[in-house]
Amino acid sequence: MSALALTGEDSLTGGLPAPGATDRRRRRSSAGWLLFPSLTLVLAGLVLPLALMARTSVAHFDAASPDLVGFTLENYARFFGEPFYLMILARTLVVALSCTAICLVLGVPAAFVISRVESRALKTVLILATIIPLLMGNAVRAAGWMVLLADKGLINSALLSAGLIAEPVRILYTGSAVVIGLIAVLLPFMVISLESVFENIGTAYEEAAQTMGAPPWTAFFRVTLPLAMPGIFSGCLLCFVLAMNAYATPVLIGGPSFQMMAPKVFEQAIKVYNWPFAATIALVLMAVTLVLSVASSLALQKRYGVL
Amino acid sequence: MAGTRSPSPRSLSDGSFRPVMVGGCVAAFVMVLSPLVAIVWISFFENKIISFPPTGYTLDWYRAAAAMPQFRDGFVTSLKLGVVATLVSLIAGVPAALVLARGRFPGREAIQSLLLAPLIVPGIVAGAALYMFLIEVELASGVQVAMTFWGLALAHSLIALPWTVRLVTASLVGLDPQLKEAALTMGARPLTAFRLVTWPLIRPGVVAGALFAFIASFVDLEKSLFLVGPGVTTLPIVIVNYLEWSIDPTIAAVATVQIAVISAGLVLTDRYFKLARAF
Repeated sequence: MSALALTGEDSLTGGLPAPGATDRRRRRSSAGWLLFPSLTLVLAGLVLPLALMARTSVAHFDAASPDLVGFTLENYARFFGEPFYLMILARTLVVALSCTAICLVLGVPAAFVISRVESRALKTVLILATIIPLLMGNAVRAAGWMVLLADKGLINSALLSAGLIAEPVRILYTGSAVVIGLIAVLLPFMVISLESVFENIGTAYEEAAQTMGAPPWTAFFRVTLPLAMPGIFSGCLLCFVLAMNAYATPVLIGGPSFQMMAPKVFEQAIKVYNWPFAATIALVLMAVTLVLSVASSLALQKRYGVL
Repeated sequence: MAGTRSPSPRSLSDGSFRPVMVGGCVAAFVMVLSPLVAIVWISFFENKIISFPPTGYTLDWYRAAAAMPQFRDGFVTSLKLGVVATLVSLIAGVPAALVLARGRFPGREAIQSLLLAPLIVPGIVAGAALYMFLIEVELASGVQVAMTFWGLALAHSLIALPWTVRLVTASLVGLDPQLKEAALTMGARPLTAFRLVTWPLIRPGVVAGALFAFIASFVDLEKSLFLVGPGVTTLPIVIVNYLEWSIDPTIAAVATVQIAVISAGLVLTDRYFKLARAF
């Protein structure tokens, strides 16, 4: 419980004399009680399960019994030893990186325009139009892409009836469809993180640069974008992490032959019932995502100073 | 620096800045909004097999969807789960936010990260882990939890918790802790001080937190995937299962109902609490 103890009262009271010793003690015990329900919930629902998952990933798989037996690295050896699984990891990385890059290219102008719109009403509408899709859930958006991209979907029937194509073009159940679907899912996250950054930078620097003769593009690339770098980085990181872990979009839009990491976890746990291997894939996915996030943030820190 | 006047990408002319930026913005919104517009539009198509242009418009698919028990049950289960998860996340999250907003203390960062962790750990990983954990609990105790309503309720409470913690904490940032101390010094009982001083200040955050918590629970797919069972299936999972077999205006009608529920909730939230502050 000592970690919860409230010391450093000065910062609480803004430098005024600290409250009396009894008050401090009361605060300490009340902090414990106030934090108890939420911490219990997270411990029981997340921390313990993740610990069990780590244990499961080093257990020996026995199809006959669900008991966790043995300590072995065979599941990890299997993952990194079979080209099939390395291919899935590589494909997941390629999809996540391409989605992040395209989200950046589309997200920067969108966020910039929203942050510079003068009409308050239009700005509210644009922000709502960004946030509402973000919270709409993946199932509904995947359904939207399916009706648009299917062989008999809206795009193909529109092209057919316009006489532009003779045969439906296969879009659904391809890698490009997954990338398109994921961009639509991730773009709002990028736009919403960048919008507040451009908003905070304000227009003063751009105006100063332009007053001194910089053309709009120069002002944007030499002044505004470098200032927005920390926000751009956190937006990219968010997109990358979410794309790495995407489930609904690859399953529904990519179809059974376009396999990515998160659907593999589900398949191994629920369809094959190989929990140790499912746990291994899940942890590899988390570890790869974490290592790349930390490495890229360190690299950027070196280049741009404190982020 | 004599060369500052030369534009960095030489090929871009000065006049192209605005059109390119606005064009990118329009392209971004087309990408984001087109699946939603398409699904709403198709839900009114008269023909069962999607073709363009439609032969006519009808509301029949909404009637057809409402008559299908799997969608009705899924909707009711998601609604019940959303309410339970929101209540649990408020009971657990509001007191925690009050402590976090008191200011710096040792371990504060760690506790905050722990409480926001359910937002960061990928849904599929957290769902798989919780599923394995609940099966182990079941093996040890003999009580079935996985694939029951209460197993799902635990998962959904965790989905909801970070939102209440985050939004209530956000509504308390910058709040002077001395306000409450002043009330206490002047003889108010702790409960009275809470009711008259703290509560009015956190109310917008609590309302927004509750609405966000409900929405996050209602639309969740990945975490619930492992935990649903016969008789307890959430609406997003019913939608996904249906989509694996067919794409037709009936599923578009179901999706449109979900879009309407969520949009109404968010527009309502925005009146209490500027949505952009939640991110």
